[in-house]
Amino acid sequence: MDLILILTLFAGLYMAWNIGANDAANSMATSYGSKALTLKQVIIIGSIMEFCGAFFFGKRVTHTIAKGIVPIDILDTHIVAIGALSALLSAGIFITIATYYHLPVSTSHSIVAAMLGFGLAVVSQGGIELDQIKWYILAKIVSSWIISPVLGAILSFAIFTLIRVTLFNYFDINLVERIFRYLQVGTACYVAFAHGSNDVANAVGPIAAALGYLGQETPVWVLLVGGLGISVGFATWGYRVIETVGKRITELTPTRGFSAEFATATTVLLASYFGMPISTTHTLVGSVIGVGLAGGLASVNLKIIQRIVASWLLTVPVACILSIAIYTILVIFI
Amino acid sequence: MRFIRSVSDVFGYSPFDDLRKHAELAAKAVGLLERQFEAYKMNNMDEVEKLRDLIDDIEHQADIIKEEIRGKVTRSLLLSVDRHDLLNFLDVQDGIINYCEHVGHMLSFRRIKAPKKIMDEFSVLLSKLMETVNEYEELIDHMSRLVASSFSKKEVKEALEHVKRVEQHEHECDLIQIGLLNMIFNSDMDPIDAQLAILWVVHLGEIANYTARSADRFRLMILGRS
Repeated sequence: MDLILILTLFAGLYMAWNIGANDAANSMATSYGSKALTLKQVIIIGSIMEFCGAFFFGKRVTHTIAKGIVPIDILDTHIVAIGALSALLSAGIFITIATYYHLPVSTSHSIVAAMLGFGLAVVSQGGIELDQIKWYILAKIVSSWIISPVLGAILSFAIFTLIRVTLFNYFDINLVERIFRYLQVGTACYVAFAHGSNDVANAVGPIAAALGYLGQETPVWVLLVGGLGISVGFATWGYRVIETVGKRITELTPTRGFSAEFATATTVLLASYFGMPISTTHTLVGSVIGVGLAGGLASVNLKIIQRIVASWLLTVPVACILSIAIYTILVIFI
Repeated sequence: MRFIRSVSDVFGYSPFDDLRKHAELAAKAVGLLERQFEAYKMNNMDEVEKLRDLIDDIEHQADIIKEEIRGKVTRSLLLSVDRHDLLNFLDVQDGIINYCEHVGHMLSFRRIKAPKKIMDEFSVLLSKLMETVNEYEELIDHMSRLVASSFSKKEVKEALEHVKRVEQHEHECDLIQIGLLNMIFNSDMDPIDAQLAILWVVHLGEIANYTARSADRFRLMILGRS
């Protein structure tokens, strides 16, 4: 039993590290790409803000991941611990493989699907009935996956159009961009905070469940661990991602970066408020497309929409089945 | 680099840099044509042929850029201008270089005997042509600022000033052409020489026409953007 908890903790830390290394870096690379911040500044600000978001605002989504999908209250704590470990392992393995192939998959989608897999495995063993899985919450989560990039696009379209109409038509472009370089520091913090608040749950939601989390409140130390994991991932690997991505997105000037980041952070924070585990990366892509639709970018590659939809269709079944498989193996051998 | 999940795929190929390079080649070709004609007047046929080959080279380079743009600007790109407007503009801009190539070859066909005032008038036409293309290049130089400002009213207005000037220059080219044709038809040149000289006039006129048309397509592109 103790071994399972320790393994769960490590798997959760690995998830947190991966989230920090890839997703946090992606969402903040815009600030580096537009030269609003240096790499060092991005790392310092990002780590602090990610941690704050996770620690102070991460509990609602964590609650959803831990208890919102599988009714852990009515299950044996040993079963829940094994399920949480299976979910984290399968999401972690899937994310690692997908990352290797540069697939734009989401950690949030993986962990939701993996928790569902755990639930289905319990159903197959007669632990609960199929309709005891909280399908209505799952439906809400899935619709939030579709709504969030669209909302990001609408917000960034509105923000950039406002900047264009009010500032670009009357002031020198270089001056406007120079001012937005400073304003963008604010949105970079905002996006890191929002990201931390939403994605910490992907790592610590299952840990909270495994700890026999029965009350309404998420244990504070769980969020602390998750926040630290994300910050460490961001600082130890994220800088590579930021460098690579930042160089490729120089088109995103400060005004465009500001619009995309503000829209993304607002959407993600809203999702955190409603306890919905969404993909920050997909929201960011939606927001960038919104800037493009507002005439802000020379060229946007719309094929990415296909790739994202394909990643949804791949992530959910694969992470779910993997979780069922790992759970079954663990139950048999432990 | 492995182990990266990245959002950078959302940024597509931007054709605007390549369009500018293509325009620069057009201006370069006209510049070479002017030099080629001066060499022709000096009776330096080796130089004429050398410059003809250089213009051929430029035409070839321009074709490569054009093919690249046409190949990469697919329907899955969301551009800040209409895709068809952009490709139409590119086609017309390519016409400038194609006509430079035609004239470059025509100059190397044969030595014609023409009165000095006709040859001098050709120089006048060519330098007017150069002015037209230089103005055109200034117009295209606005491209990056137009994109950076998301086609702000201010930038569009500034760019459109150049279109008017290109059209004015093209009109002046027309007048010089008419004068030249008048001179040729009223001279006692050898009929074949006169025929070739007329072809030069007509084709040089096409360079000016294509430059003005291309400027017009550029205007349509930046005004009709979606």
